[in-house]
Amino acid sequence: MSEHAASHGTEAEHGHEEGHAHHGPKDYIRIWLVLVVLLAVSVAGPFLEIKVITLLTAFGIAVVKAFLVCKHFMHLDVQPKYVLYFLGTALAFMLLFFFGVAPDVMNHEGQNWTNMAAQEEIERALIAQGHGPALEPGAFDAATTFANTCGPCHGTGGAGDGPAAAALEPHPANFTDPAFWADPTRDHEHIVATITNGGASVGRSALMAAFGGQFDAEQIEALAAHVESLNPNHE
Amino acid sequence: MKPVATTRTAAGIQTGRLAVWWLLASEIVIFGGLLVSYIMHRLAHPEWADYASHTNTWIGTVNTLVLLSSSLSAVLAHHAAEQGDGKKAAKLLLATIGGAVAFLVIKSFEWTHEIHEGFTITANGFWAFYYVAAGIHASHVIVGAILMGWVAWQANQNRELQRVELVGIYWHFVDVVWIFLFPLLYIAK
Ligand code: HEC
Repeated sequence: MSEHAASHGTEAEHGHEEGHAHHGPKDYIRIWLVLVVLLAVSVAGPFLEIKVITLLTAFGIAVVKAFLVCKHFMHLDVQPKYVLYFLGTALAFMLLFFFGVAPDVMNHEGQNWTNMAAQEEIERALIAQGHGPALEPGAFDAATTFANTCGPCHGTGGAGDGPAAAALEPHPANFTDPAFWADPTRDHEHIVATITNGGASVGRSALMAAFGGQFDAEQIEALAAHVESLNPNHE
Repeated sequence: MKPVATTRTAAGIQTGRLAVWWLLASEIVIFGGLLVSYIMHRLAHPEWADYASHTNTWIGTVNTLVLLSSSLSAVLAHHAAEQGDGKKAAKLLLATIGGAVAFLVIKSFEWTHEIHEGFTITANGFWAFYYVAAGIHASHVIVGAILMGWVAWQANQNRELQRVELVGIYWHFVDVVWIFLFPLLYIAK
């Protein structure tokens, strides 16, 4: 290529110009359109609620978008090769940094140490978010779980007066009202079925969600017993 | 045109453009280090999933669209400059600056709302990364807008047209960083 260099000013300039031969405003707009479509796909991905697809549409597409911008907008492909090499070296250092420390940063237990602060913080935060030990068998406490999970609607005491209660139609059941329990169809089986499969499954409102996915049979049994214990006439 | 920036070619490339690439190599290490640190903590802390769920995907999406579009006008400005049309290049750079300003305005509304919700930089590790990563990125947007204003002013007088490409390369890089920040902070929840 260097024989052209003299007449074209510089060698690099020449290579650069060549790269542009097939790039006009129309090509740039086309590439922009592709980028916008890719953006739409990456936003749509999570709606399928499949983790692998979300990760693919999020990060796979990010890599493709970055590649398109680098190649077509930054014209990285027509720079002298060594530009790619030093940019690649910077990237390689980033990966070295990641893989060098990630094994110890990402585990809270190394071969010779334990990061107790991190472990405690994770436990504390998960409990605060409502999915802590509630999910650990054995550590299940029906009253606490009821207050956390059912409380927003039914009220922490089960009186049907949770913060969301007023907005719900029908109102969430008040378990402390003897009239509620006066209905003979509300036996233990019915309560268990309501909690497991939701209100709709027993001919009630679907606003009462199904919790069969969140709690196992034993835990639901405990929740039902707790609900029944709120009956003032409970013997 | 400046002799050193445009004519010295011992390296096989205009000195000015080589300088921009070197700058970006250092930026890769800055942003790369920050992002991989974030990824490590995000993966190691199951409780961060809940924190991350509070970021607003739609605002992030609109801002991504804004930046992608501003990259388009930046590369069109480069094309105009190559054709020797400084006035057109200046106009297209102004459009790119418009994108930068729109991005920053949207971001300030987003942050104001989040801070009011209690998601401050000290709320927890997730929000610390959120504000630092997006903040360093936003500072690049501000610097880019100022540089483009200066280059557009010169291009409008048909001076230093090679700088249109140089500032464009920098701008596309800022776009690429956001392309990775977007899924990390807004999509993977
Ligand atoms: C999103 C709000 C909401 C949450 C959370 C909720 N419920 Fe309900 N629940 C309702 C509503 C509304 C009704 C009234 C349904 C009706 O009358 O048709 C109801 C009714 C019930 C009933 C009575 C069904 C009947 O026979 O009338 C039981 C038992 C019950 N809920 C238990 C629970 C338990 C246990 C939890 C927590 C694990 C819980 N609910 C969480 C809204 C909620």
